[in-house]
Amino acid sequence: MKILVVEDNERVARFVMRGLRESGHTVDHAANGRDGLFLAASERFDVIVLDRMLPGNIDGLAIIEALRKAGNRTPILILSALDGVDERIRGLRSGGDDYLTKPFAFGELLARVDALSRRSGEGDAQRTLQVADLRMDVLSRRVTRGNRAITLQPREFKLLEYLMRHANQVVTRTMLLEAVWDYNFDPQTNVVDVHISKLRQKIELDSERPLVRTVRNAGYMLSDDDRQK
Amino acid sequence: MTARNKLMRSSALTWALGYVLLGLAALGAFAVMLWYAWNVTIFSAREEILVDDAQRLAEVFSREGVAGLTARINERVALQIAAERALLLTDSHYSRLAGNLAAWPPDVPAQQQGNHAVTVDVPGQAAGMLLVHRTLPGGYHLLVGRDLALFLPLERRFAWGLATAMTFLCVVGVLGAILMRRQLLVRVQGIDATVSAIMQGDLHHRLPTRKSGDELDTLSQTLNGMLDHIEHLIAGISNVSNSIAHDLRTPLAELRSRLEELTLTRPPPAETFAEVDAAVSDVDRVMRIFNALLRLSEIDSGARRSGFVRVDAAAVAAKVVEFYEPAAEQKGVSFSFEADGAAAVAGDPVLLAQAVSNLIDNSLKSVSEHGAIRVRVGCRADGAIEIAVADNGPGIDDADKPKAAERFFRGDASRGTPGVGLGLSIVEAVAKLHGGVLQLLDNHPGLVAQMVLPVAAARAAP
Repeated sequence: MKILVVEDNERVARFVMRGLRESGHTVDHAANGRDGLFLAASERFDVIVLDRMLPGNIDGLAIIEALRKAGNRTPILILSALDGVDERIRGLRSGGDDYLTKPFAFGELLARVDALSRRSGEGDAQRTLQVADLRMDVLSRRVTRGNRAITLQPREFKLLEYLMRHANQVVTRTMLLEAVWDYNFDPQTNVVDVHISKLRQKIELDSERPLVRTVRNAGYMLSDDDRQK
Repeated sequence: MTARNKLMRSSALTWALGYVLLGLAALGAFAVMLWYAWNVTIFSAREEILVDDAQRLAEVFSREGVAGLTARINERVALQIAAERALLLTDSHYSRLAGNLAAWPPDVPAQQQGNHAVTVDVPGQAAGMLLVHRTLPGGYHLLVGRDLALFLPLERRFAWGLATAMTFLCVVGVLGAILMRRQLLVRVQGIDATVSAIMQGDLHHRLPTRKSGDELDTLSQTLNGMLDHIEHLIAGISNVSNSIAHDLRTPLAELRSRLEELTLTRPPPAETFAEVDAAVSDVDRVMRIFNALLRLSEIDSGARRSGFVRVDAAAVAAKVVEFYEPAAEQKGVSFSFEADGAAAVAGDPVLLAQAVSNLIDNSLKSVSEHGAIRVRVGCRADGAIEIAVADNGPGIDDADKPKAAERFFRGDASRGTPGVGLGLSIVEAVAKLHGGVLQLLDNHPGLVAQMVLPVAAARAAP
């Protein structure tokens, strides 16, 4: 994937770029708003990672607005030191696709970048999802593994649907909290982990191949990959 | 000099003086009109009388001739008070034939014929005279006149009256202006002094108010309300910065010593990376405290109130309970939820969820295995909504209950459990934001933490 990182802080930029390159992406970098807007407008990227506060008269929101006005629909992840619900809403309303507050764990950033690239590809319109022999019919709400039918509670269904739509991608606990429960706060207990382990018990019987992997320092991945690390 | 400048710049005084000038102008205009109308009316009336008189004398002349008229004039002069009226009959050469004037007055234009009303000064007369001149057949001239001395006192009185009225207006106006200014000045200076004191940094001062409810009073009350709000916000900010300064220092000190120890001892890679990982989670912990503090200040500022919607507190609580159910199950804790119907409140669903989540989180941490947690949403007799989380854990000592919601307070029972000591602070702030309170009660054994929230204002419509 080709990713543009617009970030003025050298250290943060280096950290993000190295991580993205190690994950196999091609990364371009701009250190100020003007260069960022120029690069974003002149080349095609799969995802843009954009710092909100930038030197040089053009800040992150101005770049987003300029790109969107020009009809550029590249998914944009906003990085910001500004927290607070209002700031988040303002960032998303200006045309950003996701919002990540600094400081962040790299795993969180990578997972969100992957999710964004996926979002721009296929829509949520897919009615049947399949990972290995796990199948989900979104409309009739039927889940099967091989020939075995699996009964899920509504919230478990939503959780599994999210994991399946982001199959082979890392999803973080924060992403799950936001997508499945609409919560943007951080519960102090590892509640999400417990939900995942309960879901695992239902979709992975002892005799079956594990599907949900725990990714250290990041989150989870639903994967049909045979190789277990 | 400055006092005088101040006086000149006083708006109350300027306005009052302006009104005095306006009053004087109106009075002057009225006097001029009156004077003019009076003069015209009186003079034309007198002139008419004189013309009539002259006409009668002319009729005597035409009936009885010069001799008859001379006799009539002499008779009249003998009867009347001297110098009150002027009568003169002359021949065509203006030589006196009869009358009380010694000679033809030099000021009267002799050549003009007919009736003429002229005001002239006649020697020997006290005041000006209004004279009517009539030419009779045969070249005789007749003058009939009356002096104007009669009007002098009236004119004087008029002038006096006018002067008195103007003086009165000036004195009362200026005095009133000074009084008004002083009155206003006292109150404005009161406000000024208070605001200056506040600018010096003492936010406790409030503007003086009275019960009168006039414009200034209303303004003062509004400003006082604003000051209350500002003071509250500033207290919140200083509270947060104090907390940050005080409570981030400890984890930062830990982090620093961990890293410094690493550079000093230079252990083998495996141990180094373990320490680095620990350092990262130290930073995460600092960030968690930081975020919790920021969220607290965001809640305290009341800014979230603008996003209030009608929320069913029971549904919000039910969702949080469902969220925690697997965690409770895993710990072997019996977990129950009950609600008597929908409980509508005006609020922020996410914040309410976070508050309930914090309460359940606290209970989950405090109860032992096979403990019990009950979440209940109900309507109280007075209509308030009650969200209660009850557990049978160790509870909180009565002595600690008032302090439990303070920032970074951690009771003895919670030592050694994870958490930063801000959970209940956030719950209390959320309750306060929604116009409610957080109550901590005894569950014998255990704790009942309940938020009591006022019902949504629009509850009347089901």
